[in-house]
Amino acid sequence: MLKPILLVEDNPRDLDLSLRALARTRLANEVVVARDGEEAWNYLTRRGNFADRPQGNPAVVLLDLKLPKIDGVELLNLIRNEPELENLPVVMLTASREQTDVARSYALGVNAYVVKPIEFVDFLEAIRDLGVFWAVINEPPPGSIRLRP
Amino acid sequence: MVREKTGGIRVSDTPMADTSVDYSACEHEPIHLAGSIQPHGFLLAVDEATGRVAQASENLGAMIGREVGAVLGQTLDEVLGAEWACRVRCAAKDPQFALGAVLIDRWTARAAGEQQVFALLGHRFGGHLIVEGECLGEEDAALPVDVNHQLQALLGQVEAARGVEELLGLVAKEVRRISGFDRALVYRFDGDWHGRVIAEDRNDVLPSYLHLHFPASDVPKQARELYRLNRLRLIANADYEPVRLCGLPGAQTRPLDLSLSTLRSVSPVHREYMRNMGTGASFSISLIRGGELWGLISCHHREPRTVPFGLRVSCGLLAQVLSLQLAVREQAEGLAQRMRLQAILTPMVAAMARHERLVEGVEACRDDLLRIVGADGAVVIEDGRVVRYGTTPTEEQIRALAGWLNRQGDDDVLAIESLSQVFPEAQAYTPVASGLLALSVSRLRHSWVLWFRREVVETVTWSGAPEKAVSVDAEGARRLHPRKSFDQWKEIVRGRSLPWQQAEVDTAREFRVAVVDIVLRGAEKLAQLTEELTRTNRELENFSYTVSHDLRAPFRHIRSYAELLKVDKGELLDDEGREFLGYVLSGAQYAGRLVDNILGFSRMGRVTLMITTVALDELLPEVVRQVKIDPPSRNVEWVISPLPRVQADQTLLFRVLQNLLENAVKFTRDREVTRIEVWAEETATEHVVHVRDNGVGFDERYKDKLFGMFQRLHAWEEFEGTGIGLASVRRIVARHGGNAWAASKLGESATFSFSLPITPSPTNPIYA
Repeated sequence: MLKPILLVEDNPRDLDLSLRALARTRLANEVVVARDGEEAWNYLTRRGNFADRPQGNPAVVLLDLKLPKIDGVELLNLIRNEPELENLPVVMLTASREQTDVARSYALGVNAYVVKPIEFVDFLEAIRDLGVFWAVINEPPPGSIRLRP
Repeated sequence: MVREKTGGIRVSDTPMADTSVDYSACEHEPIHLAGSIQPHGFLLAVDEATGRVAQASENLGAMIGREVGAVLGQTLDEVLGAEWACRVRCAAKDPQFALGAVLIDRWTARAAGEQQVFALLGHRFGGHLIVEGECLGEEDAALPVDVNHQLQALLGQVEAARGVEELLGLVAKEVRRISGFDRALVYRFDGDWHGRVIAEDRNDVLPSYLHLHFPASDVPKQARELYRLNRLRLIANADYEPVRLCGLPGAQTRPLDLSLSTLRSVSPVHREYMRNMGTGASFSISLIRGGELWGLISCHHREPRTVPFGLRVSCGLLAQVLSLQLAVREQAEGLAQRMRLQAILTPMVAAMARHERLVEGVEACRDDLLRIVGADGAVVIEDGRVVRYGTTPTEEQIRALAGWLNRQGDDDVLAIESLSQVFPEAQAYTPVASGLLALSVSRLRHSWVLWFRREVVETVTWSGAPEKAVSVDAEGARRLHPRKSFDQWKEIVRGRSLPWQQAEVDTAREFRVAVVDIVLRGAEKLAQLTEELTRTNRELENFSYTVSHDLRAPFRHIRSYAELLKVDKGELLDDEGREFLGYVLSGAQYAGRLVDNILGFSRMGRVTLMITTVALDELLPEVVRQVKIDPPSRNVEWVISPLPRVQADQTLLFRVLQNLLENAVKFTRDREVTRIEVWAEETATEHVVHVRDNGVGFDERYKDKLFGMFQRLHAWEEFEGTGIGLASVRRIVARHGGNAWAASKLGESATFSFSLPITPSPTNPIYA
């Protein structure tokens, strides 16, 4: 079983576009969606709604910076301080190119920092690159089914 | 000073040269340790530690009938007898004794069967009680000892004298009357210690020296010091034979310090000087003010002549009265002048106070500007501006002068009477500006107020040439000779203005306070404005950042969904629908780019510069490689000269070059062959990089607008663009402490240039 990708995004349009972009990359991984930092944390630590999910960390977390409740940087900080999660790849997928945001993210050990491009074509390319690099050893096992939210 | 020959008398470039051999040699003669006295009296020096005579004049035998050999080692009682010794000791208790010779009384001695009356004088100096006896003639011996009553009537006259000249004349006349000399001069030292005769009284025996100038070497420095200490000096006979002082045989006798002695033998050079001048006797009274020697009353007699001590003291008192009177009068005059100037200054300051700029403040009081210090011209220099009033040098000359002033010391006020002497370039304009009164308003900003005074050509009549001669006598010793000629010669002094009076300098100083106030107020206001501007700017930046940031997502969504619509559902639309969709896409694309550019621009103001050494030779090809040529088939010729290594933030510098090259490519789009040149220059402080294209150029009238935010000089259809690129260029360059500018020939070419300091001084981020 391929590890899933955890997508943390609160804006419905961005979420939709990200999912569409991921769909077009033909990645085999399941995409799990969390709409804020708290939900993502619950998923990662198997609490609340996710208490019953099967064990195992996602392949990569695609994390928006500005999120309700717990924001992206805070969540990153939590992840990096949790022994079971400290090696989890985290990619910031954000609208902000601010020096301070970039610097803070890298200081907290983010694995990549991607500014969402305006052009959908460029966005597709970015997502594809991310997926290839972080999510998978590319080819899904034969017969696996892609789940869509 | 420029000296000219006049009247064919003589000419000299340096009549007062301090470096002449004679002058310096003369100055080193230890005249206070003469080791001898004049022969019209005797001297006993009692060592106060032992109470015994340590030194005495060789002529004791002839004077008082006691041989010097016998007297040395004796007590005062043994020499003068108990009664007189007691009187001397008694007198010695007077503190006056330490300041100069005091008349003890008349004293009679018998020598060679003759009776001789002496004025017995005493003083204390260098551990010795020094007793001097001055021979009195028969007439003098008959005079009352105390002659001060003679002065009483005179003092009344002195006070009544109306002008300084009358006062001086009166004193000269009285001193001559009391002393009975042929000529009495009042002699005043000038700044460089040359002297000037300012009053005279004489009979027809000796020539007039009134208004003549005497070189400083005539009264050398140590002689002036002795005049200061010992205010009365009589040389009774220029042809005298000095009388040696003898010490105890075998004892280590140091030369006796005769600084306060009345009989001290003077330098042989001086006696020769007197003989050359044709005077047989001289009597000098020091004029002292505030402890400083400012002049002499100098009396001359063709024949030898003595003046009894009491009369000399009277003359000394008269001299003191003169000094005091002059001081009082000068102070009163200074005060009156100060009040007159104050009356002008007060309304001036009030008029200035309403202004915030120095030039404006001064302009407001221009009518009084020259009057306030009695100048012929004035200049205000502020922030490189030169405003002239009245008669002044040219603006160019003033700029050079200001440059020189900026390099001078820290004095706030400089008063110069002969500018060309300290600043030779000023010789070009001595007629209009020989005198300079300079107020430094702000050293930092090189602001000055300058006043000029024109040249006043003065004719100085010197009494003879000042040179002394050196001769070698029979034993091979060098000997000095004073000048022989007292013939007059005239000198024209050029390049000087009237002197700046103390009251004028003081007023200028007060004026400066008012002026500095204006400047400070201006600076304060500027600081306040800057602060407000910074705050407004920050708010504006914050606003545009927030708006741009929040707009970015919706534009991205529009763009993305329009794209999806076009790709996935395009076949559902007809041609018109697809055309509309195309407009939506390009509109959203433009809006998105605009937002990104604004965010980038805003970010550039805030990022911290990472200054490193950047090799432009390596960076530029990379920029060229990334510049999109649209369409790729265009014929673009790059002409890139060798470029320097600069100190800059590489990422930001990349953006600068990218913007400039993209612009160059964009605005040459319709050229058959595009030619883009890049080259650099180096000045003392900056690297300047130029990018020239052969494109459409721009109207130079609008070149200042080019670098403004959202400024476009071309229609949308002609050249696309968000109008942020050049604003970014200027902002980045400014953050490095440099500048950006442009020039163009409309329709032919455009050159964009930017400078980077060789030593970078990065400015703080806007949101520091």
